[in-house]
Amino acid sequence: MNRSTIILLIILMLCSLSLVAAQQKTRSLYVALERAQTEERRLNQDWLRLEYEQRNLSKSSRITDIARKQLKMQAINPGRTQYVVVD
Amino acid sequence: MSQISFSSTPNLVLRLPMWRSRLILFLIFIGFIALIVRAVWVQGFGNSFYEEKGNKATLRSIEMPASRGKILDRHGEVLATSLLAKAIIAFPDAIPEDLSKEKVSQLAKLLDVSETELRKKFASERNQVFLKRQVDLDIAKQIRELGIPGIAQNNEYKRLYPEGEAMAHIVGFTNVEDRGQEGMELAKEKELAGQPGRRRVIQDRLGRYVEGLGIINPPKDGADLQLSIDSKVQFLAFNELKAIVEKHRAKAAGAVVLDVQTGEVLALANWPTYNPNSRSNLSGEQLRNRVLTDTFEPGSTIKPFAISLALEKGLVQPNTSMSIGKSMVVGKKAITDTHQYQVLTVSEIVQKSSNIGTVKMAMQLQPQEMWEMFQAIGLGQAPNLGFPGAVAGRLRPYKNWVPIEQATMSYGYGLSASLFQMARAYSIFARDGELVPATIYKTNNVPKGTQVISAKTAIQMREMLELVTQTGGTATNAQTMGYRVGGKTGTAHKVEGKGYATNKYRGFFVGMAPMSAPRIVVAVMVDEPSTGGYYGGVVAAPAFANIVAGTLRTMNVLPDAAVKQMVDKELQLEPNGSTQKVSLSR
Repeated sequence: MNRSTIILLIILMLCSLSLVAAQQKTRSLYVALERAQTEERRLNQDWLRLEYEQRNLSKSSRITDIARKQLKMQAINPGRTQYVVVD
Repeated sequence: MSQISFSSTPNLVLRLPMWRSRLILFLIFIGFIALIVRAVWVQGFGNSFYEEKGNKATLRSIEMPASRGKILDRHGEVLATSLLAKAIIAFPDAIPEDLSKEKVSQLAKLLDVSETELRKKFASERNQVFLKRQVDLDIAKQIRELGIPGIAQNNEYKRLYPEGEAMAHIVGFTNVEDRGQEGMELAKEKELAGQPGRRRVIQDRLGRYVEGLGIINPPKDGADLQLSIDSKVQFLAFNELKAIVEKHRAKAAGAVVLDVQTGEVLALANWPTYNPNSRSNLSGEQLRNRVLTDTFEPGSTIKPFAISLALEKGLVQPNTSMSIGKSMVVGKKAITDTHQYQVLTVSEIVQKSSNIGTVKMAMQLQPQEMWEMFQAIGLGQAPNLGFPGAVAGRLRPYKNWVPIEQATMSYGYGLSASLFQMARAYSIFARDGELVPATIYKTNNVPKGTQVISAKTAIQMREMLELVTQTGGTATNAQTMGYRVGGKTGTAHKVEGKGYATNKYRGFFVGMAPMSAPRIVVAVMVDEPSTGGYYGGVVAAPAFANIVAGTLRTMNVLPDAAVKQMVDKELQLEPNGSTQKVSLSR
């Protein structure tokens, strides 16, 4: 065995090891990506749920009810309205 | 003792037969060959079997979820949305026999079912049973915390409708499989439905996905759908209907609000209704979208069309006087009015809703002309709304008309239309003679309508329709604070069996506002009012007024009628700078 063969053998071994390391790294990154995507989905669901809750709290029927009963407010009419026209 | 070197030990001198070592060598060689052949087989030709085994342990094909699209109103408010929920599944075989009574009762409580029912499901012969579907996430979490073996949970979606019963007929609902069953959910099922995808991954020992091997088919989320409905206007219209039905003990009611500039439907309300979030014991009565699917004889609300045709043809002018009298005989039938008039002008005929006056004008028209008019305003054709169940109504071909039919049709008997068709037809008066194409989807461009009558006739008719709501007209109740309104009342006997029921009525009002430059057409229908009157001007006009006032306010339309100020002068705002002009309620 001459010297160049030994050098090539060492390079081959290093390459093989780095391949294994790279694969390992890919996988751990992929796991992280998966986790992030799951989180994204969960947050998306949360957002949808919050949007729904917000809508539920701000719907006309609830506002009208609270305004009339709790806050004793009255509906506006043109006689009590100041109309401002922006030219 | 003399030393004997290893190489000269006498034992080695012993010569064994050569074939023995050869044989051993050969056997070892054969052994290696066998190993090589096996290795080649395992890794090469016979590989698929082992590959499959390996893949089974690590390869996974998993579903990529897709969500159903949301339904939004014109301002982007959510009308229908899908939230993640859990299906609770039991595998009866895996549930321990000696499950504590306490746990069963806890589970039953969380699932909101009886214990006996739950035990029956546990005893099921089937492989797996649904204990409950569409369970909220927090309840599902509590169920998981009970830690009962043999109970699993699956992801699924639950459809929620925040506006509830006010919007039920427009939005509709989906079934437990997330498929549209009614309303827009059904009409736009294809666009709204999401398509789940699939992808392949490698799973490691810990159950993590460590490598993606590509997507088999990508998931497709359903598209969001934006309607032209304004949820505030819808709520307003719905509340008005609820109030009239209570006040007049009516069987049903419907209302529609149309933006005449864009042809968009701003509100479409029905009573009775249902809650799309909890649908049990639903009846057809509740499900029916009366505004679109019920046709009725429109009664006096059709008169302006016959009269505007007479105006258009130059047969009469708004101030042409006509003698009316007690009754008028056409064929074998005598036509009468509710009140008696000697002489009325054309304007007054509209204002007081005289049958005789209308028939006198209609009989000067050709049947074909009248038919063409009715056809042009959309009667006898289902409105092209993309809504399930919209009906066409009835308009018979003019060739079969006999004179009495032409006469009764001019005041709204012998033909039928839905409330929606009537509202849309009135857009010809609001839009200077143009019939607007109606839509339930939000649009930003002003559509091109079809000219049915001239702008001059439309303006003349608007003036007459405004008279209807003024002193001496049939619908003074339609007057709206701050806005000039106009419209036409209608009261029709209901058809029952082969004839008309004497004591069952429908009252309508179809009108528009503000009259200086109409923005909306509002139509209100009350079915079988039983107390406090039944005339359209009494039962439907007040609701019209309230809907108009509220709608125009949300649309920021300036009042066009004089208003008596109810606020102290001191409290009023001062004009601020030169860019703003404060107009004190013109």
